[in-house]
Amino acid sequence: MTTQIPALDETEQGQIKDIVCDILELELDEVTDTSLFKEEHDADSLRTIEILASLERTFGITLKQSELSRMVNLAGVYAVVAEAKAQ
Amino acid sequence: MAAETGAPPAELVISGWAVSSPYGLGRAAFAGGLASGRRAIAPLDGADWPVPYEEAGLIPGFDIKAVLGRKGTRSMDRVTGIAATTVGMLLEEYGTGLAADPESTGLVLGTSGSVQSIMDFTRDALTGDKPYLVDPARFPNTVMNCPTGQSAIRHTLKGPNVTVSGGAATALLSLQYASRLLRGGHGRALLAGAAEEFSVQRARLERVADHGGAAPQPLGEGAALFLLQDAADARESGRPVLATVLGSRFRAFQDTARAGTALERCVADVLAAAGATPDDVELIAPGTPPGLLGKQEESALDGLTGNRLPVRSLVGDAGAASAAFQLAAVLAEAEADPRLVDRLTLVTAVDRDGTAGALLLRLA
Repeated sequence: MTTQIPALDETEQGQIKDIVCDILELELDEVTDTSLFKEEHDADSLRTIEILASLERTFGITLKQSELSRMVNLAGVYAVVAEAKAQ
Repeated sequence: MAAETGAPPAELVISGWAVSSPYGLGRAAFAGGLASGRRAIAPLDGADWPVPYEEAGLIPGFDIKAVLGRKGTRSMDRVTGIAATTVGMLLEEYGTGLAADPESTGLVLGTSGSVQSIMDFTRDALTGDKPYLVDPARFPNTVMNCPTGQSAIRHTLKGPNVTVSGGAATALLSLQYASRLLRGGHGRALLAGAAEEFSVQRARLERVADHGGAAPQPLGEGAALFLLQDAADARESGRPVLATVLGSRFRAFQDTARAGTALERCVADVLAAAGATPDDVELIAPGTPPGLLGKQEESALDGLTGNRLPVRSLVGDAGAASAAFQLAAVLAEAEADPRLVDRLTLVTAVDRDGTAGALLLRLA
């Protein structure tokens, strides 16, 4: 059985982008959906854990640390959060 | 790692200093404020600071992001911001050449960390939906060496990185620790001093603490740091010799009623070791705590005729930074008064937890 995972709406995507930009100390227009946190925005491992922890608090979801490997850019984070919300 | 530096330093001197105080950022504001005798304690805005105090000695308008920029400051707490700012000011004015030898340049900072950060983090763990739903970036703020570590990382100080805590005597203990590191060859130039923050939680704790039987006095905050190195190194790198560190002594006391005796011994010992007499001491910057502790300090200094520099009455109870402000005040006074050249000065502290200390310097 396949389940359709509902995409995040614009408000939720905006919330996520705010969180990421706040933690990575970036302006909103410095980040695109595909720009890489680590390679392009100098994120280290503590920063990515911060992003994960902040998403859990904000959306009331639980994210496995293994998902960090997919959370390399905004598009990846949107997908991970959408899946976690659908569960 | 600290570099091996060969022969131990013959003469330890202070060759630079920086201060962030209730008078503002920098030495000029501090020296000017003290010289005018203006009290740097102002009414508190109860909305910003829900505390059981009407007034405090805050660094005016201190805003971490405005001073240090946005990079690396998102989760920085106030005491770390104050420490990093003051380290930055010291290096900017006196740091020429130190960057070339970062492994031999270190930081000995007196602080007990931020009680506000510790309590905030613990509260988040207890009140959140899950105990682990805390902001991990704020965890480093809960350990007492956070200001020291962060300041060194920010300013690339790769030598010894030490955090010292000892109440009102903290800065004297820091200088003693730094002197020992330099004598042991564990660095060539060390920034030593102390930092303290004003916070809601610190205010609430201090309100109910024992103040020698007296009412709590307004709290202050800030930091003062001193560049400590061998006299020859200072001259070689074109830095001024501001004062020579002749030594310091510390004693523990169990009852407040014995604090005076403990301090008296510290003073007698440090003078004897320097071959000096009480009459040689031209200037004294005592801690002047309230109540019984203050009376004990006064009695210990009874036989000394040198001028007293008031500090605490002007900037408030600066906690861990108290003695750092006292030493800064001495250096500011020496800069303004040429008669103090080659004269001795004494900085003293008695802490309610049972430490008495005295630092003896020769002014240059």
